[in-house]
Amino acid sequence: MAARIAQLSLFAVALVIRILLVGQLRSQARPIELSSLSAQELSTLIEALGARNVELSDGLSDVTEQIREYERAQILGQSVLELTEEDLDRIAAFGGLRAIEGQGIVVDVEVDGSFEPTAVNDLIHELRNAGAEAIAVDDIRITASSVAIKGTGTSAIEIDGVTIGRSFSIRAIGSPPGLRSAIERPGGILTLLQQSVDAVFTIDEATTLEIPATRRDLTPRAARPSE
Amino acid sequence: MTRRRPPRSRFSRPQWAISIAAALAAIGLVGAAQWNSSLARQEYISSAQRVLIIEAEQAQRQQEALRSQLEEAEARVRTFQERDEGSRTALEALNQELVVARFAAGLEAVRGPGVIIEIADSERPVPPGESPTNYIVLVDDLRDIVTALWGSGAEAISIAGGAVEGGPLAERLVSTTSIYGAGAAILVNDVRLSPPYRIEAIGADGLNDRFLAHPSYLARVARRIESYGLQFITDARDELELPAFIGAPPLRWGAPVAELD
Repeated sequence: MAARIAQLSLFAVALVIRILLVGQLRSQARPIELSSLSAQELSTLIEALGARNVELSDGLSDVTEQIREYERAQILGQSVLELTEEDLDRIAAFGGLRAIEGQGIVVDVEVDGSFEPTAVNDLIHELRNAGAEAIAVDDIRITASSVAIKGTGTSAIEIDGVTIGRSFSIRAIGSPPGLRSAIERPGGILTLLQQSVDAVFTIDEATTLEIPATRRDLTPRAARPSE
Repeated sequence: MTRRRPPRSRFSRPQWAISIAAALAAIGLVGAAQWNSSLARQEYISSAQRVLIIEAEQAQRQQEALRSQLEEAEARVRTFQERDEGSRTALEALNQELVVARFAAGLEAVRGPGVIIEIADSERPVPPGESPTNYIVLVDDLRDIVTALWGSGAEAISIAGGAVEGGPLAERLVSTTSIYGAGAAILVNDVRLSPPYRIEAIGADGLNDRFLAHPSYLARVARRIESYGLQFITDARDELELPAFIGAPPLRWGAPVAELD
């Protein structure tokens, strides 16, 4: 009887230890808790989340309106091809298959010394984070897979197989003051680049810009639709 | 021959009790460690930070709700597009174009061969005088990995992060995706991710080898993995499935240029 009680007690104790250990390990498995961020980092995070929520909310309004139009067309027995063509234009423009025109900024870069591809990629990420809807470096449309890398056997920078010179311009469509302030903010990308690379940056707001469609063939070779 | 049981010692009876006492002591230690760590966390949170944390949590919840509503609404639009009452031929041609455009835009879930890459903070103790940030995954590490993957011929990439039960949602990379740092937190598509980060990429056979030999990987992140012991694995797979991007941002500042026929 005593042995039975001992076994049960040990089992219960082992169970409690296990629960406590699992709890301890799980608490360490998520090292970036919100509580570990500083007030400034939290503010940056809230700003980014807020901007995305506005974007999602706007997108939801647009899609809801699109559904209403489809419903109206269906009630009236009309074809919805025209609506679908508009959707195709929007999606193709988003993916880089169609040219886009609108307001934005132009960042001219004159390189004097060494300039790494990461600097170009960092600028692109900063513009995207500031809400750029379309970006081009010279005439190269930046799609999801467009990245600046060092050309094979050369120090020149290439994007999508096209070499960019020592003087190039980045055009981005989006809110001109919003994009500009994101690039120029104190401690931002421009400050960092001016400390680390030998180049002159000039930023201008533009009321009309055209960003070309990509010249790359984006047809998949290995990937296929899931459904 | 019968075997006689040895007489019980005075101390043999409570042996199990000693084991339990030792186990209870272990519980006490683990419990105390947990209590102390939670106290330490709370001690450093100011009231201003607490307000900001609540605000960030609300924004994250709102984001999740909006994404799910948008996903449902987009599925409804697709249903309308696929059963138009007009010309069947025109509809089929248009839908074919839509599939191609959706793929290029990252709005279509995809399958194919590829590679899974996982990177997490180092488990090495930080030597005195060294910066702890050297031992954690930084936004530049993820950017370099993604650059090397695209440069190696990846056709679709997603990033997930955090040890969330059931797996975290993966963020598909699209033309507007920024990989961005806010302190130790990394945002992808403005969604907050935590380590370990899991990057999945679809591309033609040999993607893993091309990635590991790519200068954008070797230049910086490979050195950091080696020097600081960041945890890193790659695993080539015959079949992967990547989710679609949710919520193509509407064009507010630009408009598609009409194509010339």
